[in-house]
Amino acid sequence: MFAEESPDWNLDLTGSAICEMCGDEPATVHLLRVVDGTVSHTHLCPGCAESVAEETDGLALVLAVPSVLRDLSKGQVHLDDETEPTAPSDQDALFCAVCGTTLSDLKESGLVGCARCYQIFAEYLESALAGESEPVEHPGKIPQRGPETDNLRHEIMRLQRMLRELVACERFEEAAGVRDRLTELGERLEEEPE
Amino acid sequence: MNSAGLTASGLGLTRNESGRRFPHAEDVAALEELRAEVVETLGGPGWDREWHVYDLDALARVEIDRLVERGLMTPVFAERPGVGRGFAVYGEGEASLEINGADHLRLLGFRGGSQLPALWSLLSRLDDHLEAMFSYAFDPRWGYLSARPRQAGSGMRAYATLHLPAMALTGRLAGTALELAGKGLALVPLWTGAGGMVQVSNLGSQGKSENEIIQQISSICHGIVEKERSIRKMLLRENPLQTRDQIGRALGVGQHAWTVSFPEAVNLVSAVQVGVDLGLVEAPGMAAESAFGLMSRLQPAHIVVDYMDGKIGCLQSPEIDECRAQLLRGIFAGAGALV
Ligand SMILES: [Zn+2]
Ligand SMILES: [Zn+2]
Repeated sequence: MFAEESPDWNLDLTGSAICEMCGDEPATVHLLRVVDGTVSHTHLCPGCAESVAEETDGLALVLAVPSVLRDLSKGQVHLDDETEPTAPSDQDALFCAVCGTTLSDLKESGLVGCARCYQIFAEYLESALAGESEPVEHPGKIPQRGPETDNLRHEIMRLQRMLRELVACERFEEAAGVRDRLTELGERLEEEPE
Repeated sequence: MNSAGLTASGLGLTRNESGRRFPHAEDVAALEELRAEVVETLGGPGWDREWHVYDLDALARVEIDRLVERGLMTPVFAERPGVGRGFAVYGEGEASLEINGADHLRLLGFRGGSQLPALWSLLSRLDDHLEAMFSYAFDPRWGYLSARPRQAGSGMRAYATLHLPAMALTGRLAGTALELAGKGLALVPLWTGAGGMVQVSNLGSQGKSENEIIQQISSICHGIVEKERSIRKMLLRENPLQTRDQIGRALGVGQHAWTVSFPEAVNLVSAVQVGVDLGLVEAPGMAAESAFGLMSRLQPAHIVVDYMDGKIGCLQSPEIDECRAQLLRGIFAGAGALV
């Protein structure tokens, strides 16, 4: 069977949780301790988690899972730096007209309500999920029968990445070819009805 | 990629239909409509095997629990009340489908042994067929969209069940769990960790293809299983008396107890399996199936449905422990120490 999952694994999108032991560091580890068949949950920073793990004797199990959105501390700093000093209220007032989800709903529940939310809250999701890494194209399986524009965008993102790589290793002639192809696809995308 | 040593393999594939809001934000009528469309598709042509669609409201608790115990339904779906939910099993249980849980669709597969690539190829084929009927919510940047942004991407979660009693006994699981946490993987106890059973899974599915996720989990688990093997040998070398004693006691209890709870049964089977692996005992009654298969059919709802005609409604009844003890006595009959 599939193991039980703690219901609060999906919380903490904001990374505001603080270590329950030292009360200081952000809690990025969700620790499950099993003693005599009873499971207890604690949210800890990696340092405290390590010391708890060492102290626990052989017969107890200490298991850890990352508090759900990895790089919480990073995401938090990022958000603090960029959004809060400017206009936090404007940001929080963001909402999705299709499903009614607001940014504060999202922060609280960790859930989005519809596909459109991914565009409305793109900036927030980008910082919470991807941290500082650059957006990349989704690398796995893609729908075969999806709208034509999806495949077009997918191809454009692939070529953009290729272009960056070619420029980085100074293969300018090939890069020029890729650039022309990109221009052509960009024009086709413009013509597509939304 | 070598993925040998997995006790069991599980896979989940999350999909949403593009025209509707995600289940928690959608209204009843739209969810009911989606379920009806999915059920119609499942009953349509083109599938290699037949789908069996369940009426969740008509299912008794013990039947739902048995589906969960088989890995056909996730515990969280079983516990979530909610509107518009549906559920179906493919073939004899090769795969299953949760409708309107946290997301519109979640394909599941679960089987014993190292089977992640085989599960992916089956679920991907079923997914292709569903996709022909439903336009999926997909974005080239985020991949397959989900109500939980963390799950957006390939939408795939792979679960590897591992049997690690020696690592549990020597307190080495904690360090391993922390190490995995740093790689975005969860290590959680299965059956509250009885018998050293744990499950490793990827928490997110962003930025990695399905095959990359499977390869990462397979190779990490391969390393963990190797570590478990060497710790078992070390225990036998350094504490031969205690090791033999624990295994011998487990065998004695299994052969003579008259009431055994499920966690205790898992501990017994686990210890005897370690004894067999180390060449300390022989247990002919266990030769026909894997230790995991045996543990699975000793779960409460399995006992009630398979051995007690499904008659007991309460899964805490003492009769279940009695029936389990009887089964164990049969399995361990003829088992003994190899000196
Ligand atoms: Zn701390
Ligand atoms: Zn929305």
